[in-house]
Amino acid sequence: MNQIFESILDPYYMQVLTLLGIYIIAALGLNLITGATGMFSFGHAAYFAVGAYGAAILTVNFGFPFYIALVAGGLMASLAAIIIGFPALRLTGDYLGIVTLGFGEIIRVVFLNMKITGGAIGLSGIAKETNLSIVIVLVMVTVYIMYALDNSRFGRALVAIREDDIAAESMGINVMTYKMKAFALGCFFAGIAGGLYSHLILYINPSDFGFAKSFEFLCFVVLGGLGSIPGVILGTTVLTLAPEFLRAVADYRMMIYGALMVFMMIIRPKGLLGDVNLHRIFFKKKYQKQANRSTAAGG
Amino acid sequence: MKKKSILLAIVTILALTLVTVGCGGGGGEDTTSTDSNDEAAIKIGFLGATTGGHAYYGINTLAGMKMAADELNEAGGVIGKQIEIVEADHGSKLSEGATVAQKLIQRDKVNAIVGDPTTGITKIAAPIAEDNQVVQISAGAVGDYVVNTEDGKLREFVYRNTLLNAVAVPPVVKYLKDELGWNKVAVVTSMNNDYSVGLTKLFKEALNDAGVEIVADESIQDGDQNFSAQVTSIKPNNPDGIVFTGYYTEGGLFMKEVRKQGLDIDMVGGDGLLAETLWEMGGEAVNGSMVYCGFAADPTMAEGKTKAFIENYSTANDGALPDMFVAQGYDAVMMLADAMKAAESDDPVVFKEEIKKFEDWQGVSGTITIRDDHEPLKSPVYLLEVAEGDNGQQFKVKAVIPVK
Repeated sequence: MNQIFESILDPYYMQVLTLLGIYIIAALGLNLITGATGMFSFGHAAYFAVGAYGAAILTVNFGFPFYIALVAGGLMASLAAIIIGFPALRLTGDYLGIVTLGFGEIIRVVFLNMKITGGAIGLSGIAKETNLSIVIVLVMVTVYIMYALDNSRFGRALVAIREDDIAAESMGINVMTYKMKAFALGCFFAGIAGGLYSHLILYINPSDFGFAKSFEFLCFVVLGGLGSIPGVILGTTVLTLAPEFLRAVADYRMMIYGALMVFMMIIRPKGLLGDVNLHRIFFKKKYQKQANRSTAAGG
Repeated sequence: MKKKSILLAIVTILALTLVTVGCGGGGGEDTTSTDSNDEAAIKIGFLGATTGGHAYYGINTLAGMKMAADELNEAGGVIGKQIEIVEADHGSKLSEGATVAQKLIQRDKVNAIVGDPTTGITKIAAPIAEDNQVVQISAGAVGDYVVNTEDGKLREFVYRNTLLNAVAVPPVVKYLKDELGWNKVAVVTSMNNDYSVGLTKLFKEALNDAGVEIVADESIQDGDQNFSAQVTSIKPNNPDGIVFTGYYTEGGLFMKEVRKQGLDIDMVGGDGLLAETLWEMGGEAVNGSMVYCGFAADPTMAEGKTKAFIENYSTANDGALPDMFVAQGYDAVMMLADAMKAAESDDPVVFKEEIKKFEDWQGVSGTITIRDDHEPLKSPVYLLEVAEGDNGQQFKVKAVIPVK
């Protein structure tokens, strides 16, 4: 399948699109944590890093097949999330944000000082395994899982926790367990994205997974619309492609990028697709019919 | 409901405008590049940062490259074509480094890439350049696995023109022994600093080969403030000097402690000590401390090509002296130009063979020989010394040591 893409797209576009797909997977993971459950996480890049390093070390040092390493990287990120989640998730709101930020930095500094990760020199010699078709398939799988979760008992419980955790608890939802599950699952996707990233860029270095990256992920989600899956995809697309397309204006690139973010947040404070139910818009007739029927029945 | 659809429409329009504007911009760029691509231009891509953490290196490398391109173009270009520098900023981000390398090769169709000044992004771009058969010269990478892969295979298209520590250390040690009469030294290593650990290994080998005795082997950590224990244990051994492989902050503080305990010996180290922070931390204690590096501009000692280069640069930049990155960026473009001239071709597959043949190639930062393992052998090594100057303390060239 990748050959088809290679014949129509040049490698520069392939690179940009592959990176975009990877970011979408990670951003959808964060959306489950921040958008659906309402837990602020400023340390998403750290789980991304766990996946990136985990998968890369497994393929480079232990000769694991790529797909197994990828899943293992995701599981390692989940594990890290569970370990950190126990103390951290007892907090809410801004406090949680600060604690996740702290843990994110800790994970980065651990990678900076470990021998197996290559320390500050970084890890190189990773084989190129990630390609556009794998990423597209995984993005589709992720989107499907996210939709399935959204409409499941689990997803509704998360929304209940986001809206009012006390009310949710009184309805018999074990808030802590659900939060933990959402956190671990969201970080699993970050880990998968990380594994794809390291096998695309082929060289990783702790400086790449700092606070700036976490913040970038958060921007994707908030700008697209917290809790909206199409919103997150649109937000990630706009913010990933904008700097590339803005290369034409060279020196003013990052300034325009920043202005764009401010402008979008003023126009759409809830994110590009926040509060927009695409399903309802695309299937307007069905909803109208239902509405008519109910009025008819009612009347 | 209606309101929502209107909002959605606005959002869609906004998003579309953004994308079309972007594409339009991109398209515009393409047309300009095809305009200048009328067979008459040789494109050299600049891979580096002009924003972000490594912007300093990138901006200076680019300045050197542009200077070289201007000089070449004034003299009629290379093999009858003008040189065009194509620049793209990656903002010091690794992920963008890969994208920029792809962009330079695929969109701009460059004949060669100069960059990145850092080892990390050079390593990211190297496989891309290799796969696409575009020559890449890094004007700054000193780390391992740049010109060869991790499994020891030589890269055919990737080169660098930097002074490697492995090349620089033996002549520096020889100078210390022969000229300064150091026969007993203390070696100080910062254990949590990869650069320091690697450099210590090289120094120890060179010291052993030169027959200099290591009388004390002390370790410190980056971030340490108090070095009294290490200095106390060095003192009774009475070394002639200290080899310090760490960074400037600790270097300055370490020398302060050395003077405090009444030892009158000097320190020598790699370019990890090369920063004003050294005397901001060490004050007068670092006077006499020595640092080696690949290039230092000293108008009084320079001659020939280098002298002209320093003069031209300072005239164009209000008297500022070029630093190592400017000189290496300049040399990288000149190396490419000379290789193209020798091969009479701007096809990377053809002129890369000429780069391999470089022997005692004269650049402004020194002479370069590309060895069989594709690593550069660069001469000379500049040994700088901290001394009191007109504007307080500064680095002065103490010796220019040739490498054989």
